[in-house]
Amino acid sequence: MSGKGLVDAERRRFNAIALAPSLIVLFAIAGLPAIYLVVTSLTPFQLVNPGSSTDFSSPLRNYRLLPGDPRFVNSLWVQAKLSFWGVLFQVLLGMLLALLLHTQSRVVEFARTFFLIPMVLPPIVVAIIWKLIYTPDISPLYYVAGLLNIAMPSLTSSVDFALTAIIIADTWEWMPFTFLMVLAALQTIPDEFSEAALVDGANRFQIFFYITLPFITPILVISGMFRLIDSVKAFPLVFLLTGGGPGSVTEVTNYYAYLLAFDFNEIGYSSAVTIVLLLLVVAVSFGVVWMGRRREALE
Amino acid sequence: MTKKNSGHKSASLSRRTLLQAGAATLGAAAFPMPVIAQAKPFAGITLRGASFQHRFFTLLQNYIPEFEAQTGMKVDLQLSAFPVYNQQANLELSSGGSAFDFVNVTFILASRWVAAGLLANLDEFTGDSNLTPAEWKPKDFVEGAQVPYRDAKGATYGYSWEGGAMVMGLSRMDLMEKKGLKIPKTFAELQEVCAAINGTDNVTGLVSFQLHHWCLPPYIQGFGGNIFRNPPTDIMPALNSPQAIQAIEFYANLLKNYAPKGVLTYTEDQARQALLTGRSNIFIHSSAWITPILMSGDSKVKDTSRVVRMPAGPVRDFPAANSQGLGIPKNAKNKKAAWEFIKWALSPEISMRLVKEHGHSSVCRKSVIESEEYRKLNTVNGQDLGALYLEVLGLPAKGENYMAYRTVKEFPIVGDVLNKAFEQVATGQLTAPAAMNAAQEQAIANMRRAGTAL
Repeated sequence: MSGKGLVDAERRRFNAIALAPSLIVLFAIAGLPAIYLVVTSLTPFQLVNPGSSTDFSSPLRNYRLLPGDPRFVNSLWVQAKLSFWGVLFQVLLGMLLALLLHTQSRVVEFARTFFLIPMVLPPIVVAIIWKLIYTPDISPLYYVAGLLNIAMPSLTSSVDFALTAIIIADTWEWMPFTFLMVLAALQTIPDEFSEAALVDGANRFQIFFYITLPFITPILVISGMFRLIDSVKAFPLVFLLTGGGPGSVTEVTNYYAYLLAFDFNEIGYSSAVTIVLLLLVVAVSFGVVWMGRRREALE
Repeated sequence: MTKKNSGHKSASLSRRTLLQAGAATLGAAAFPMPVIAQAKPFAGITLRGASFQHRFFTLLQNYIPEFEAQTGMKVDLQLSAFPVYNQQANLELSSGGSAFDFVNVTFILASRWVAAGLLANLDEFTGDSNLTPAEWKPKDFVEGAQVPYRDAKGATYGYSWEGGAMVMGLSRMDLMEKKGLKIPKTFAELQEVCAAINGTDNVTGLVSFQLHHWCLPPYIQGFGGNIFRNPPTDIMPALNSPQAIQAIEFYANLLKNYAPKGVLTYTEDQARQALLTGRSNIFIHSSAWITPILMSGDSKVKDTSRVVRMPAGPVRDFPAANSQGLGIPKNAKNKKAAWEFIKWALSPEISMRLVKEHGHSSVCRKSVIESEEYRKLNTVNGQDLGALYLEVLGLPAKGENYMAYRTVKEFPIVGDVLNKAFEQVATGQLTAPAAMNAAQEQAIANMRRAGTAL
């Protein structure tokens, strides 16, 4: 082996030894619970049924039952609607806000900080704020509507508005994330490009579509992907605002999994629901990454 | 002079103290343990118990140091949120663990724990006069509150510390009197009163909250239906019976037409506030949530309120009742010490102190509820709330146990399905027959998935 090869081998060994403790810890705190979740999903484990946690007689039973469970299928559909509209609004509004506030001014700098507040609040606080806004007898929203003689239904207990009410609250909470990302991207675009375009007679829309948008598109995709993955975690809003109702109108998959595990004690079945959700999120993430790479390759 | 005398006295006391201490040490060295053991039979034991968070335990914790001083044991009481506790206890008991010496026997899980033999038979303790003195009186507990803690043979596995008795609160009797309305005694009258009051003086006819599987069954039973066909022996769901459909339609109409906007997502607190401030006229719920209209400092309707039995359906009235108990896990390490604690915590003396010192009225000792002190504290505007509480709490034990549906271990699954179906009817997503037929199918499918043979 040449001297260079020896150095490389030594470096690889050193890297492996240096990384090993972190990988072991990572495996212990992230890998083992995930493995346990998979194992549990292969059993009919119920807290009120001793011995069921080690019953592997029909390992795929839970997965076979899932397609025939209307609440599970409905919960996936509700999750898809919540994720799609929530992410779309968050990306579009975040981008719009970043474009508006991408100027040098003290007032604007203050405004930027102000817009970040919802994102740093604990999720349960956000849920309580919106609970207050959506509760007709104490809400300032309903008070103003009353002054204007507008008859508003109860948003969280209405079949037509309950999911929209959650999407609005989720967008309010997470739109700052996209705003922050896009703002950072905007600040990296060299001024020369837009100045040159202006000299060539381009208007503001043309500058946006031909210069700014191509620059910030990767950031928009990444923000959207992060938010898409995170949108599966919109638990506190659903829990506090609607409890999954009315009926099952806002019952997203993780809320259903929570009910199965904590209210009905069906740990095995709940684990299977969670695994399917996990696989879907992983598939979507890979899909988005693949699309991003394909786009880069084409360029 | 004084100083000198004082110093002399001090020196002489020191010598005496020294001699006394020496004698005491010699005595203790000769006969130490029997004397101490007699005084504090449970010295050195740490008693571990668990329950969900409740005012009863918060109040009891104030007295626990007294118990520790009397017995010599340490009490380690873990209090968690209701669902967390139930999961923890389920896991602990099902796996045959011995981490807890006493546990809360949760109402909705009681029959499953008792039937599965996960709890110790407390008759062994009450039947032994060395362990339980006659004045403790096991028969003194309200009969209806004890029903969930007995097995088929009548053996007792828990003693109740709290009872919930469903009653009806009316906050605006002044408005009702102006309109010549009487307290409703039937479902039909309830609807009439709600319709007549709703919108008057910005008051809604009635208020409720989102736990429909607690509020709704008395209507189903009032119309002659039930949640299961014949619980606890026949647990085939009976959600699509004509009576259940009629009841869900009736209750949904009440909430749709006469309750505040958004009532479907109301919490108990929101509903109570609506009653206490007189924004809603009627609230039917556990007495602990209703009686504050007469007794709480927050009530703005003290002078215009009444608390009575809930109205009856075409069959009769079935006010819901529940209770929570204390029991000992079968594999507990310190069973005798645990019994000592239960005996003390549920003694007539502690129950009376909770009533007198904290106004905590939902105790389950008949002798306390019927006592003059209790009556004095719980008689407001001429209304004997204690008598009403006792009457309602005792009802399930008279004749058939109509609350048996709620002690069936499958109830949480079926109750959730019922909640969803009710919301679908109340929001117009489905008609009552369609919603209840779908609920019936769903309940059966869920129960089978969970391993119940039907």
